[in-house]
Parts: sequence; structure tokens; C-alpha cells
Amino acid sequence: MTNTKTNKPTKKVWDILAMTWTKYSFIFVFAIVLIVYVFTIQANGNTFKWGHIAAILSSQNTVIVGTIALGMALVIITGQIDLSVGSALVLCSGVTIMVFNVTNNILLTLLAGLISGAICGAINGVLVGFAKMPPFIVTLGTMLIYRSLTLSFVRGIDPAITGSSSSQFSLLSENSNYDFLRMKFGTGSIDGLNIPYITFVFIFMMLLFLVISKNTKYGKSVYATGSNAKAARLTGVKVQWIKVSVFIITGMLVGVASFVQACKIGNVTPASSGKSYEMYAIAAVVLGGINMSGGKGNLLGVFFGALSYTTINFIIVSIPSLSTDIQDTFQGLVLILVILIQTVGPVIKERFLDMKKRRRSKKKLTMI
Amino acid sequence: MSLLQMEKISKTFGGVKALSEVHFSVNEGEIHALLGENGAGKSTLMNILTGVVQMDTGQIEFSGSHYPHPTIVQMEEAGIAIVHQELNVINDLTAFENIFLNKEIVGKFGLLNNKKMIQETKDLFLSLGVDINPMVMVEELKTSEKQLLEISRALYADAKLFILDEPTTALSGDEVEHLFGILRRLREKGKSFIFISHKMPEIFEIADRYTVLRNGEFISSGLIVDTTPQGIASDMVGKQYVDKNMYLQRKLGDDVIVMRNFCGHGFKDINLTVRKGEILAFTGLAGSGASELMQTMFGALPATAGHIAVHGQKIHGGITSFMSHGVAMLPSNRKENSVLPDLDILENLYIAEHTLSYKAQIIHKKAELERYDRLKYMLNIKAQDYTDSINSLSGGNQQKIFFGRWLNTEADVLLLDNPTQGVDVGAKIEIYRLILELATEGKTIIINTLEIPEIVKVSDRCVVFFEGKIQTILEHEDINEHDVMLHSTNAVILRGRIHDKYKDEQTN
Repeated sequence: MTNTKTNKPTKKVWDILAMTWTKYSFIFVFAIVLIVYVFTIQANGNTFKWGHIAAILSSQNTVIVGTIALGMALVIITGQIDLSVGSALVLCSGVTIMVFNVTNNILLTLLAGLISGAICGAINGVLVGFAKMPPFIVTLGTMLIYRSLTLSFVRGIDPAITGSSSSQFSLLSENSNYDFLRMKFGTGSIDGLNIPYITFVFIFMMLLFLVISKNTKYGKSVYATGSNAKAARLTGVKVQWIKVSVFIITGMLVGVASFVQACKIGNVTPASSGKSYEMYAIAAVVLGGINMSGGKGNLLGVFFGALSYTTINFIIVSIPSLSTDIQDTFQGLVLILVILIQTVGPVIKERFLDMKKRRRSKKKLTMI
Repeated sequence: MSLLQMEKISKTFGGVKALSEVHFSVNEGEIHALLGENGAGKSTLMNILTGVVQMDTGQIEFSGSHYPHPTIVQMEEAGIAIVHQELNVINDLTAFENIFLNKEIVGKFGLLNNKKMIQETKDLFLSLGVDINPMVMVEELKTSEKQLLEISRALYADAKLFILDEPTTALSGDEVEHLFGILRRLREKGKSFIFISHKMPEIFEIADRYTVLRNGEFISSGLIVDTTPQGIASDMVGKQYVDKNMYLQRKLGDDVIVMRNFCGHGFKDINLTVRKGEILAFTGLAGSGASELMQTMFGALPATAGHIAVHGQKIHGGITSFMSHGVAMLPSNRKENSVLPDLDILENLYIAEHTLSYKAQIIHKKAELERYDRLKYMLNIKAQDYTDSINSLSGGNQQKIFFGRWLNTEADVLLLDNPTQGVDVGAKIEIYRLILELATEGKTIIINTLEIPEIVKVSDRCVVFFEGKIQTILEHEDINEHDVMLHSTNAVILRGRIHDKYKDEQTN
């Protein structure tokens, strides 16, 4: 114990900075994005206020996509992918809203979201983990299935249950708990700070999974599975089960997100809600510094990744000369740029070290 | 006339010196044996020669040209072909497709000219005397046939220098004779070979000159006719290392492992009893089933018939049920089967214990660190910070961490599959000491290895496997290189002549 830290003080300031950069790059990414945002606001003739930050924290892209991205991060750490989260969100939101409309019970509503999410995730997980099918294909399939099931059900069910006569699910405002759920919890916020309550749902989930990933044996076996599944199996890790379980957890987080969706928005439209959310979640994970090849990543990064993603959206929207049609192009470009830095960065570093080493050995040779 | 000249080659991997100022030269039309223990630097030297690894300093001259920074393509074009130790044939292709992989003959419009390739493969096999149908899927070939295919593929390349890295591991006695016939014929045509092998009799039969490396340093070089097997062996292992007799006679306890008609993939009808505190060695050529048996004894591969009992209890099921009965396995091929590259040193150490104590999910870092420090001291692990990457450690220290991984589970049966693979000599000796110490404490240890000196050093008994069955079991005093090799190649009759000659030299 005593000698494990002895070499620390000799490290230079630069080394420490370089270490924090590699370990917490997601904070720097967010800082840079935020600075750019400040400049664009000022270029538009406005001043940057706390309200802008509160807007970032309360955006759907932060809260709903961020919650889903926590699960996506676990799936990606095990070296897999889940494309079905956007569709599953619609399905679960539908179930959640219907259960509320029928029961008027908040706890049952939340449970409905969790259970329906867990089932959606378990279907993915079993097909991937036990039937050994590639996760990309399986979740591509369920992505189509979950949404189209919801679409076809919404037309067939009594409007008294779906809460809407058009093709969507909507919370019934006649229910006695509607006021609390939607008005107080869903759209309310802490006085003064302007941060909505639902943001704390996301923060709580982030902290919960941060602890699970860092301080539990389950969390470590998730990383081990993604790092080297073969070696992990030979240490007794039940690799198959771990792979299934991260899909179930993702499903449950989708359930939480669907509850938040119901409270915040009050309705869900199967044809359009949650579209491309799987991509947004992946973007948040990547911006959070989690490597797509699996095995590593910090769940704290997902929090900052979600904030960065939202802020990038805000920047693009706030540039007046950009038409809405071209906005996705810029989103895509930013994403590619970040991944480029992630993958090319280490390669450049290695080349640089190699060059240094070779130069040093050449010097030695000429000295002889 | 010198074909290849390597001068003052040095290479360091992450702080560990793999080669320091090594000389190596090969003449035209000779078979040159490159010798040394595992970890002596042979593979690194060959990787530098073939452009896989860049040297730090040194000079390479091949066929009159200098290569300051050789690349794979450059060296291939210059006329160097290599047969790797691990089989690199592609199972999903046919034999001829493997021969012509990446140098396919194409006709008009860039379409493959299969007819011509098949004919050429036939001619090649005919001239080499290899009996393989060019159209057969490689998957269906025996291991020895795959090895012959791999060698044929290298020989098809119009190279000047062929590197054969342990080409005979999967070959039977007469197949080896056959291969040697081919090599002699090609030598007469002026081709050169670098022949890497651990089998002394083969070297004395086929090679013209030799070079010995030890610990990444050049030790000796000369004509085979001027030396003896003992001379080379002591060059390879070093004097003080040869003399060190570590083996201790110990008192053995009750039966711990009992296998009855145990069958699985690659082995069948194993009947074996191992006692408490015993060190048992498994040995056999690639494909002999020894490694497969060990993996099945840990639940990593399924058993197909028969049973295994540990401490009197029959065990069914997978890895975790074997682990909960106190069985541990240190797998071979560390990088592939042990290293969790993205996890730090501490995490790599405690993971196996955690799968046993999963019911208490929270990790208590302080307690984990105490155990880490204890194991670190006990195993003499040279690691700085426990949060460093596992890949920052040298091979030997990594292997010690994985030893610690299993000692941490307090298993009393340790299965060690090739535990000194890619480990330097110093760490090897520490590992042998550790094995003997643990056995004295009452742990039951099975070690699967191809290195016979290793077996002599530690084991009470040696089980020799051949084609999935126990060929013989040798008691400690009967274990020697000659007999083990004889039994593991089943060459008691076929190659008796050469072995007798070798034995005579050894006894002289």
C-alpha cells in the first residue's frame, strides 16, 4: 500500500493535465461546445444567461435521450448495440399512458413502464445472448416491430383508454392524479434554479448506474465482458447472461424514460415520437467518450455527452442562416469529428512516441 | 556465401529487452537451426526479419541489399517466406484456394482461373509428395495435413529463404522423414532454411549450422557436426540453470481428482487419479488432447461421457460449478485467454474471486487492496500502481497477476495450461518455485506443457498423451526428454534409430 503512490508527486503538471484529458475528455468536450454556444448567442445579439443552461438541462434530448443513453452505454461497453430503443420508447410510453388512464395510479404507471421496457429488452437480449444472433440485426428487427405494433394498436383501442381520438396516446386530464403527474412533476421545476424535477430523475439514474458500474461486481463483469469475452468467461463471468442483462437494463431505462415522456409531454405519437432516438442515444454515448469497440468508458461521460449533444443541437438551431433541412448535416459532421478525434488521437500519440524513441536510439548510436 | 546477415539487432518491448545486439547469418543452400528456449527472442528476431516488428537498432542485409526499415511486403518480395508455428490456413477454403490466397491466377476480366490453379496445386503436391486433394475443404484435413499444406504454401512461393517455425509439431515420424526429404532436395537447389525447433534429434538430423539465443542475447553459433546435444542444451538454458535441481520429494495425501472413462472433444477414455499435494504434468504434441482435457476438467469445454469427481463429488456443468468446487485454471495463450486489456491491474486480479462471491455485490476496495498487497508480496509482482493498465506489465508479471487471480479464489486444484509461455527465464524459475511451494502447502497441481525440462523440474508424474489417449505415465525418476518425445510422437519403432543415436550421444 505504501509504495503504490510514491511516484505520484514526481509527475509533472502536464502529465496530470494529459491524464485528466484522456480520462475526462467528455468534460472538455462539453466545455468547448458550451463556449461555442456562448459565442453564437452573443453573435445573435443576446447575452448568455442561466436560463440557457436551464434550457439545456430540461431539454428532451438531455432528459429522455440521456436516460436511454445510460443503458445504451452499458450495451456498448459489452461490445453490442441496441437500435430498438426509440421504438421501444413509443411502445412503453403507450403502455404507461394507458395504464395511467385506466388506473389513475402513479406507482402502477411507473411499474407499467418498467415492466414493458424490461420485456422489450429481454426479447432483444434472449435473441442476442442465447440464440447468438448479431445484436445489430436483432434490434433492427425489433425496432421495426415495436413501432409498428404500437401504430397498429393505437387505432384499435378505445379512445377512453388511449386518451385521444387521433392516432396517439394521451394522458387523460380528467384523472385526479393528472394535475400532480403532469403539472407539478412533469413540467414543474425548482423555484429560482429553473431546473425541472425530471432532470433529477436523469441525474439520479446516472448516479445509480455510475455506482453500479464502478462499485459492484456486476458492473466490473460488464466491462470484463466487453474487454475480452473469452478471458472473462474463463474467470467464471457468465458472459451470455451479462450480454442479456444489459439489454434488460436498457429496456427498464427506456421504461423510466417513457414515464418521463408521459409526464413531460403528456402524449406520444407512434408515427413520429422517439424517431432516431437510438441514434441520438448513441451520439450521446460517443460524445461521452465511450469507445464503440467496448470494454471501457465512464458512465459520468454519458451525462456530459447528453448535455453536449443537446448544446450542439441548440447551436445549430440558433444559427439563423442554416435552414432546417441542412441541420442534420451539421449534427452528423460534429459527431464524425468527435469520433475521429477519439480514434485518430491515440494513433497520432503512438506515432509521436515511436518517433521520439527512434530519434533517441539514433542519438545513442551516433554517440557510440 | 552469405545470403542473410543480421548485425547488432536490438529490440525493446515496453521496457523489457527482447533482443540485445544479436548476430545472425544464413548461408546460401543451408539449413540453419535457430535455437533457444521460449522467450529467448527467436520469434522476435524472425518477426523483425519478416517486417512484422520494427527493430530499434541494427542492420539487415539480405541477398546483397540493405533493409534499414523492413516491411512485410518488402521482405516477401525480397524472397523470404515463413511457415508459422500456429496454423494459418483458412478452414473455409479449399486446399488450392489456400495455396493461391492473395496470389490467385486470374484470366480475362479478372476472373479466377480455377482450372490452372488446381493443376498447379496438383503439380506442387506431386513434386513434394504430399497426398492431399486440391479440391478438399481444409476444415476436413487432419492437423498434420494442415501443417503440410501450410508448408507447401510457403514452398510454392519462389523464395530464397524459408523460415520454418516448429514445422513438425503435428507431424508423425514418417511425415517428418518425408518433410526432411523435401528440405534436402530444395537445399541442393540452393534454397536456404531457418529451422526453429525444440526437438534435438531433428536438429541433428537435418541442420547444417546452428545459432543459439538466450534471454535475447546471442550465445553461440557453429557447425552442427562440431557440437553435441548437451553442448547446445547448456548453451540454451545456461549453466547455472541446468544444474539447479529444484524438485522436492513430498508426501502426498488422499485422492483429490478421480476421472473414470472421461471423454470429451479431442480425448477419450481417460482414467486418472491425482492425489492431494501432487504435481502432475500433462504433455503431448499439438492435437494430442492434453490441453482439451485440461479445459474440460475446468468446465470450459463440455464432457461427452464418463465422469470427473473432485474431493469425492462428481461435477457436472460449466466453469462456475467447477470453480465452486475449488478448481482453478490458468489458461494457455495469455493474451487471448487471460488478459482483460481495458481493466486495471487490481480489476484483473480480483475478477475470478468476484464470480464466486457474487452474492455480496458491493466491492470493498480496502479489503481488495489488502489481498492485492499480500499476493503482490507473495508472488513478487513488480507493478507500480494498481490502477495501471495490465498491459503495462511484462509477460512474467502479467502471468503472476493471473496466478494471483486464482490463488485469490483459494482454489485447491490448480490447472496450469502452459504457464511459462512467453515468460522470461527469471520469472520462469519463480513460477517453478511457486508451484513447488503451493504443492507443499497441499494444493493439487496439474501443469500442461511441451517443455520437458520444466516437467523434470517440478512434476511427480508425467502423463504423455498421443491422439487423445494416455500413451504412458512416467514416474519422476523416469522423466527425460528422450523418452517423453518418443512416447508423445508414438515413434518408439519408427524413429528408434535416430533416437538411439541421440541417446548414445547423451550417455557418452
